[in-house]
Amino acid sequence: MLLKISDLHARVAGKDILRGVNLEVRAGEVHAIMGPNGSGKSTLAQVLAGREDYEITGGTVTFEGRDLLALPAEQRARAGLFLGFQYPVEIPGVNNVYLLKAALNAKRKAAGEPEVDAYEFLTLIRQKMKFMQMSESFLTRGVNEGFSGGEKKRNEVLQMLVLEPKLAILDETDSGLDIDALKVVSAGVNSLRDPARAVVLVTHYQRLLDYIVPDQVHVLSQGRILKSGDKSLALELEARGYDGVLGQVA
Amino acid sequence: MTRNLQSSAQASSAALRSFEAQWRMRTADALSPVREQAMMRFLKLGLPTQQDETWRYTNLRSLAGHSFSDAPRKTRGEIEPHASVSLLDAKERAATLLMVNGYPLLSATDTTVNGIEVNTIREFSRLEPALMRRFLEPLSDADQQRWTLLNTALFVDGLYLKVTTQAATPLVILHVSTGDGLDNVAYPRVIIEAAPDSKATIIEHHVAQGEHTPLSNSNTLIALGRDSQLEHYRVYATDAGATHLDSLDIRQQQGSRCKQFTIVLGGGVVRTSLEAHLGQPGATLDSYSLLVGHQDRHVDCVNTVTHGARDTHSHQTARAIASDASRVIFNSKVIVNAGAVHAESRQSARGLLLSPSAEIDTRPQLEIHADEVKCAHGATVGRLDPDMLFYMLSRGLDRDTAQSLLVYAFLADVLTDMSVPSARASIESALISQLPDSQVLRNFR
Repeated sequence: MLLKISDLHARVAGKDILRGVNLEVRAGEVHAIMGPNGSGKSTLAQVLAGREDYEITGGTVTFEGRDLLALPAEQRARAGLFLGFQYPVEIPGVNNVYLLKAALNAKRKAAGEPEVDAYEFLTLIRQKMKFMQMSESFLTRGVNEGFSGGEKKRNEVLQMLVLEPKLAILDETDSGLDIDALKVVSAGVNSLRDPARAVVLVTHYQRLLDYIVPDQVHVLSQGRILKSGDKSLALELEARGYDGVLGQVA
Repeated sequence: MTRNLQSSAQASSAALRSFEAQWRMRTADALSPVREQAMMRFLKLGLPTQQDETWRYTNLRSLAGHSFSDAPRKTRGEIEPHASVSLLDAKERAATLLMVNGYPLLSATDTTVNGIEVNTIREFSRLEPALMRRFLEPLSDADQQRWTLLNTALFVDGLYLKVTTQAATPLVILHVSTGDGLDNVAYPRVIIEAAPDSKATIIEHHVAQGEHTPLSNSNTLIALGRDSQLEHYRVYATDAGATHLDSLDIRQQQGSRCKQFTIVLGGGVVRTSLEAHLGQPGATLDSYSLLVGHQDRHVDCVNTVTHGARDTHSHQTARAIASDASRVIFNSKVIVNAGAVHAESRQSARGLLLSPSAEIDTRPQLEIHADEVKCAHGATVGRLDPDMLFYMLSRGLDRDTAQSLLVYAFLADVLTDMSVPSARASIESALISQLPDSQVLRNFR
């Protein structure tokens, strides 16, 4: 089992957001977590990545059998967990590629590997940028500085491709993308699919799942996964809405 | 020559009495009339106190009890090689002019360097007394000019530079402060004149040697002729025991452009003032301040920019970081005189607090007496952005690295506008060494 979430409870600013989440993700799988606004989707993603603003009030999370919640954010990343942000932050003055190189080296160092060779790194990043249809100017700009919404999302996927995580959690990576960008981003995610890795897609819309076909779909509402199914659940949600589908559950 | 000063009765503190004693020891020179006026005014006005508007944050009371004497003259041989470390790679600089305790130590080859005429003030005022007096006047009673009065009265010699062409490589002035005992004072004076259409980069680098760093009361005047361009740096890298009171006056003629960097990376108490007068149409000033508070350092930076003619432009960018128990103050004021229509000014001051016991104060001010002007100002003081920090941690960077990168990023607005790559590189590496202890940051977050 790559990721196992058991009865996870979390709160922020005195408010309970996650109220008993259970989820198991095996290597090789793609899971989609859908749900209405305010259901706790982004909180779940942030809690898994190690954001400290949230208080964990109950439950456990293991990642490859290790207690994930005991690790600080940077160690989770080095262990192979990646969060694609819903709103990637702009960091003017910190070079986009510099950050990526530092991130890759941090991971390699943790794995006992030597730092990446500068030339090799540039070759790698150029190749991945080409795949993501990003212009050369991304090499010299600050992290997400002045990027459009779509460019920021491509940049998130670019980082994921370079870091090759075991588990990628993509928080609404599809929102704000036009159809062409959606295809590029989806191709990026699909290129990472392999038997050793897993992807958790947090999304509002079924549209993304036309391009990245999930093994399982979960509906998160009021801090709990209320319904799980195969990809047809997404279509059902599209047709009948959350109320329609969840009404059945209740 | 004996001097009788009417005002001596008011020289009440030990410091004032010692300054007056220094004055009595000076020999007369071509500048004596203006010096005497300056001394009388200084003695009459006394040391600035916290009641004076631009001295609210810096208490000099501890200086008053000291009896100051002139810092010694030194020979080249007495200056340790390590103190001559320049900010620049040798291939990037035209020359390094050495000033020790305010006394220029020029070598025979220093007379003309890459289109910049080099002279001592002593020599130049013998040749051109009237012109030199014009550089020293008008005297001002304003409280931010108080130490300029004393410098004018007491400087013995200094550097006069005249930029006559488009100089390709930067010139470095290395100011070394080195005392023989406690309570030395030095009066470095530099005058930079840029002829019409000339262009140059001049870097003033202040360092200290030895344990006893003199009180430094330094002054630089920059006079920019029509359509001239100057990039000027003043970099303070003295030690924690040093007190530095530095004044910079900039006078700009038509179409001239000045890019000025004030960089505080050292010293115990560092007070810098900048007084710029954009006196003719089309004059432009870009002023950058990079102020690093570290340990117990106290940095007080005061800028006053006067738009005295139409179509003048000024941009001030200040970035302050404060760690440990340091304190950084940045106050700027823009005055737009009547008639200075279409003047444009921008003041941007940002502070980053890196420890709970550090303090940053900043206040941009505007005084507008003309119509049709565009003036903007903004000031913020805050801590490291938790969203940025989390983003970097989530990519696997360790906390120390992430925090250091964010501090860099914060200062980038100033660093990226430096046109001299090796100056920027050495300033950056000096900065790194003063980034705060990560443990402190961690507790603070």
